[in-house]
Amino acid sequence: MTERAITAAVAVLAAVGLCRGVYFHLVSEPLHDEMRAPIDARYAALRALLPPSGEVGYVSDLPVAVRLDQDAGSLGTRLYLHAQYALAPLVLRYDDARAPLVIANLSDARRLAQIAQERGLSVVAVAGPGLAVLRPKASP
Amino acid sequence: MSALLALLAIALSGAGLVAVLFPSRDRALQAALAVALGLGCWSSAYAAVLLLFGPGARTAKDIALAAIGAVLLVVARDGAPAAVEDREPAPRWLWAFLAVACVVATALFIEHTLRFPDGGWDAWMVWNLRARFLARAGDGFRAAFSPHLLFLAHQDYPFLLPGLVAQGFLLRGAEAPWIPIFIAWLYGVLAVALTTYLLRWLRGGIWGALGGLSVAAMPCFPTFASNQQSDVPLAVYLLISVALLAGPRSRRSLLLAGFSAGLGAWTKNEGALYAACLAAALLWRERDLRAVAWFALGALPLAALFVGFKLGVAPPTDLAALSTRESVIAHALDLRRWGELVLLTLRRVVYFQDFALWAMAEVLVLVLFVRKQPGTVPGTALFLAVAAYAPIYVLQPHRLDWIYRTSADRIFIQLWPAAVVATLLHLARATAPARTRAST
Repeated sequence: MTERAITAAVAVLAAVGLCRGVYFHLVSEPLHDEMRAPIDARYAALRALLPPSGEVGYVSDLPVAVRLDQDAGSLGTRLYLHAQYALAPLVLRYDDARAPLVIANLSDARRLAQIAQERGLSVVAVAGPGLAVLRPKASP
Repeated sequence: MSALLALLAIALSGAGLVAVLFPSRDRALQAALAVALGLGCWSSAYAAVLLLFGPGARTAKDIALAAIGAVLLVVARDGAPAAVEDREPAPRWLWAFLAVACVVATALFIEHTLRFPDGGWDAWMVWNLRARFLARAGDGFRAAFSPHLLFLAHQDYPFLLPGLVAQGFLLRGAEAPWIPIFIAWLYGVLAVALTTYLLRWLRGGIWGALGGLSVAAMPCFPTFASNQQSDVPLAVYLLISVALLAGPRSRRSLLLAGFSAGLGAWTKNEGALYAACLAAALLWRERDLRAVAWFALGALPLAALFVGFKLGVAPPTDLAALSTRESVIAHALDLRRWGELVLLTLRRVVYFQDFALWAMAEVLVLVLFVRKQPGTVPGTALFLAVAAYAPIYVLQPHRLDWIYRTSADRIFIQLWPAAVVATLLHLARATAPARTRAST
């Protein structure tokens, strides 16, 4: 094995690698993958309605992965993680509908009334499509 | 004023450390090392001060870092340069090719950043989420490690990268998106530059250029760099440690190698594994307890921070918290799981989308050539690290295909620059006699 042979081999590998990278990022990805919107835009109005820190409950119309056998890449999990990212340092307690304040983060905005009724919550404010602040209804 | 002080703290602490522990005539290498180590010092000092005294002592920390760095620079003024091997310059076309590769990688970094403005999945799920907690919460920063967060937020991860981003947010007074993007780009640049400069220092210019090319032209490298995650920063600290252990040996180089390995541990949990593998390889190959002790002494400040964080603040890692003795034993005895790991790994080696032909070439060189060469500390350490992942993957509690799919490429990119150095050093040694014969 000579230095020249190694240099040639690395140069070929590098050329192939660069071509692969260029094709993936500049040809394939623009065709098959959408541009992501900044996460914060969806949650800006909601954030303004919430305390800056502490804990709030979190409900959704989609399940969030809280166990190993659940899909960590699901839409429900992504919605929760996006909300947690946007609203930090507020801690979102998943599936806790008894907290003094609860946020709803829904994939289907039409289900807000149904979710609120099922979980014994009343809507305090709507902060955009599928987003709302709720609180537990007073016990009878 | 605060920003200037922070820049001084990074520059002086890094430059001071390098001046004392790595005296050299290679200013480009020294500068790159100083930036990497200065960022590490700045972030780990921030974490230590935050956990001990709360968020109010950042300015005092920066003054102390800058002062210590300045003192180290004064002390090191008469330091003798480290031994440098005769350089073998690379042909101009190879440097030009490396420059083109860097330009292309930067373009791909920009494209990926525009497409994913919040970074990769783990950036907003873990790393920048942590940075936001630290920057926004003030005295309530411990909410970042709340057990009420979803386990996917990985509250137990050390936070070198979030510490940098959070301090950037605090200095700027706003969460400017360019701050995590710039830090991600900077570590990408450091990964290529340090692979190039360290190999040039160790074996000459041609090997440096080949090393830089091997990192910059890896298809998944710009993606991982732009993901704003901790994998490329960890790769940088592992690379420094591996290269220093491959170079001329002294107490100072061992201290610096240990310190860099410690910064790797404070970057990501896997860094602790790599630091342990480096120490084990040092002991195995050289049977020199003193060398291991100097290496461990270098890593000690970061090891103390890591252990203090793990014992005092962080909840248990999900790999341990979600495992039971029964699940571990069942997974260990499950031959299908071991077989599945082998299959997943073989398929990954030929995963063209991320690795093009690099992973296949590396495996071929290891099997056909490096295996027959005498063992080295860097090679042994990397072999131990890869070997350690086999039981980790099999025994961990998650579905194997899911965790492999979501982590294998990241582990690859953490190890890649160090593997490039270790492999090219073997090849350089093998070609040296041929060069000598040719010249005579």
